[in-house]
Amino acid sequence: MQTKAPSSWQQAIQWGLIGGGVAVLLALIGMVDAFSKRFIVANAFTMGQVLFLAPLLILSYSAIGRIAAKSPIISVLAGMLSGLMGGAVLGVLVIIGNTLNIRPMFRNASPDLFKELAFNQGATGGVLSLLLVGLVIGAIAAGVFLLPKRLRSAVIQAAIWVLLVGLIRDLIITIVAQWVEKANAFPAWAQWAKAIILLLSGLFNKTIFAASGIKPVSAIILFIFLGALQFWRSGIPRQAPPRLALNKPEQQRRRLLTLAGAAILFILLPPILGIFFAEILDNVGLYILMGLGLNIVVGFAGLLDLGYVAFYAIGAYTMAVLTSPELGFFNLTYWQALPFALIASVMAGVILGLPVLKMRGDYLAIVTLGFGEIVRLLALSDWLRPWLGGTQGIQQIAQPHIGAKVLASQQDLYYLFLVGIAIVAFFAWRLKDSRIGRAWMALREDEDVATAMGINNVATKLLAFASGALFSGLAGTIFAAKLTSVYPHSMNFLVSINVLSLIIIGGMGSIPGVFVGALVLIGAPDLLREFAEYRYLAYGALLVVMMLTRPEGLWPEERRRLELHEAEPEAIEPVPETEAVPARQ
Amino acid sequence: MTLLVSKNVTKRFGGLEALKDINLEVKEQAIHSVIGPNGAGKTTFFNCVTGFYNPEVGEILLDGRNITGLSPDRVTKLGIARTYQNIRLFKNMTVVENILVGMHSLLKSGIIGSALRDPRTRKEEGEALEEARRLLRFLGLGGKGDLMAKNLPYGDQRRLELARALASKPKLLLLDEPTAGMNPSETQSMMNLIHRLRDELGTTILLIEHQMRVVMGISELITVLDYGAKIAEGTPKEIQNNPKVIEAYLGRGSAQQQVSASSSFDTASPTPSAT
Repeated sequence: MQTKAPSSWQQAIQWGLIGGGVAVLLALIGMVDAFSKRFIVANAFTMGQVLFLAPLLILSYSAIGRIAAKSPIISVLAGMLSGLMGGAVLGVLVIIGNTLNIRPMFRNASPDLFKELAFNQGATGGVLSLLLVGLVIGAIAAGVFLLPKRLRSAVIQAAIWVLLVGLIRDLIITIVAQWVEKANAFPAWAQWAKAIILLLSGLFNKTIFAASGIKPVSAIILFIFLGALQFWRSGIPRQAPPRLALNKPEQQRRRLLTLAGAAILFILLPPILGIFFAEILDNVGLYILMGLGLNIVVGFAGLLDLGYVAFYAIGAYTMAVLTSPELGFFNLTYWQALPFALIASVMAGVILGLPVLKMRGDYLAIVTLGFGEIVRLLALSDWLRPWLGGTQGIQQIAQPHIGAKVLASQQDLYYLFLVGIAIVAFFAWRLKDSRIGRAWMALREDEDVATAMGINNVATKLLAFASGALFSGLAGTIFAAKLTSVYPHSMNFLVSINVLSLIIIGGMGSIPGVFVGALVLIGAPDLLREFAEYRYLAYGALLVVMMLTRPEGLWPEERRRLELHEAEPEAIEPVPETEAVPARQ
Repeated sequence: MTLLVSKNVTKRFGGLEALKDINLEVKEQAIHSVIGPNGAGKTTFFNCVTGFYNPEVGEILLDGRNITGLSPDRVTKLGIARTYQNIRLFKNMTVVENILVGMHSLLKSGIIGSALRDPRTRKEEGEALEEARRLLRFLGLGGKGDLMAKNLPYGDQRRLELARALASKPKLLLLDEPTAGMNPSETQSMMNLIHRLRDELGTTILLIEHQMRVVMGISELITVLDYGAKIAEGTPKEIQNNPKVIEAYLGRGSAQQQVSASSSFDTASPTPSAT
């Protein structure tokens, strides 16, 4: 064995084999087959094919990047070698699949799968095609790699966008169909709007999309258009703020405008997207609400809480007990019961907080995990059955009302979530840049020093737990009102994990990150029904990839970004006082 | 006037007596040093004063008020601030934010005020920011307020730690090896700074120091600890000629040798900043 670094060829082969391995994994767990009927580009390629070819492409690309050859020819050859290796691994799978029955071991290794992998050809033709496709993919990866940087990122982004548009074809068609339905009822003076909608509908139904996927010509046009757009956009010089500048007036103005735009968009979402999406939006809203609360505990104060679902459960159950006529204790209305539910959640937050004050990191995580389970098991227990309903849960929970109108439909509840989110986000945002927020941050950084600075760690930590619990409890009450029933099994550990994951994916401590995280983790799987089965697989893979490539999250807080990526050299340069300190009175 | 009194303070860790019956008085507006070989109990004494350790025996009085056993944040509120031997800044917060955290006990806004940002809170925050900038200029860190603390050069980090401690407007400032790891010119400017703190702000200073040049140069009174016990106390001159002190530092037999005032028998090695 030589101890020197592996040669370029060895690396190319190695990465190609890994790519093939990933593709085989995706095929054998059934993802390729599940997506084999979903065309991205009509009659050209399916999502299934994307799933087993993308790993080859991505890993060939990384191999070329690793090798960083001086000569473009070597890059192309290395890419092709890598792609060939990946194709070969898939070819081996096809041969095995065609000669042996491996179904007892791999449930998803069906003849359909092997047909899909072999591009609907026999074993020999399939293997040859796979090898050839591997070569082509490797060459494409090298081609993309050799493009100038700006063009390269435009090409990659355009390709991803075309893929996404192809994936959500059904959704776009559904939305447009709803618009057409509504447009038919437009009064005479709004005929022009109807005409636009009909035009759009025609454009989407006839020109862009086929019965499944995008039409090939449209796909190419879309790719070129998006690529050009991206290329043009990346040409606009952007001034990246290298330093943390808090509370600059011009920054605040821009932020206000963004906020106003976002608010209008969120208010208009249900009518634009239609009923089909209301359920998904409600789900996303629920998780955003919980995410904002947990973000205070984990993101701001650095207290890893794995039992966050407990407060959600306590909010929901308090609401249920106080309002359900089935139990007949109080029969309050939603609004009457709300303060009690919130107080109960906050008290639970303090009760959990007190014993764990001295704990840090992993110890805290384990204790909070236990707390979450205790709450769920209490709700499930026979002992508390007369009050909490045991496994049967509690039904007939009151729904909130405004005047005589009961907020029962999913669209109504969406607005309830929206109001809740607006209040909570406002609080979180204001707290972050305050004396309390700084105290949380200081505790997260160094608890001993923080207390030596006069920060009362007991009160400050309890405040974080209590605020987190309050917001989670609020989410719980709306959840209870939405379903009009609560069950112990909807309070399981996975809820806590989902909320934590969405914070990590979005960016710890970042408020917009919570929204992004919830959309990606909660919204996206609901939109692509085929994904439902692979949801947690995708979560896990996404978390691993994120931690390796972008640990600060999708929409990071500026501070975290600087923390995880060593500061740019400009940041060390001090600036004259006059520039750094805007005049203040 | 005496600011800090330590009466018979004893601190044990299991069987080990880290501090034995320490009696010490710090005069108001004094510069008072605590010296001693490694492991003598200097930092343990600081931890007892600041409330991190609770001594088994004895009491500590600040301005005549018993502060023994109070939590560190209460002690800080009563007017004691400290710096650390190995710099412990909030690395991922900006320089100004570090100072603002130091002011925590002087600010009053609570959770409701913070969220609603009422006029009183706004005024308080504005004034705090102003004060922070002023403090930074005083310590020669003007214009660096928006940098991340970890991006400051070493000497500036020491200054920032000092600024953060000063932000709580302490009566008594405890400095744990303020010149550790500094070159001679940085050391000199730190000594000047310590003098200015006392002369211009009227802060009483108690410091632990290893560099004898610094100790002899700025202290008005020196207390020497060895194996947790106080072995000597006096002016720099008295300490230099005290045979017990020389023995503690250089071992028995060296006591007869003359020790010059400018020699440093124990220069602290530069402490790498903790990660």
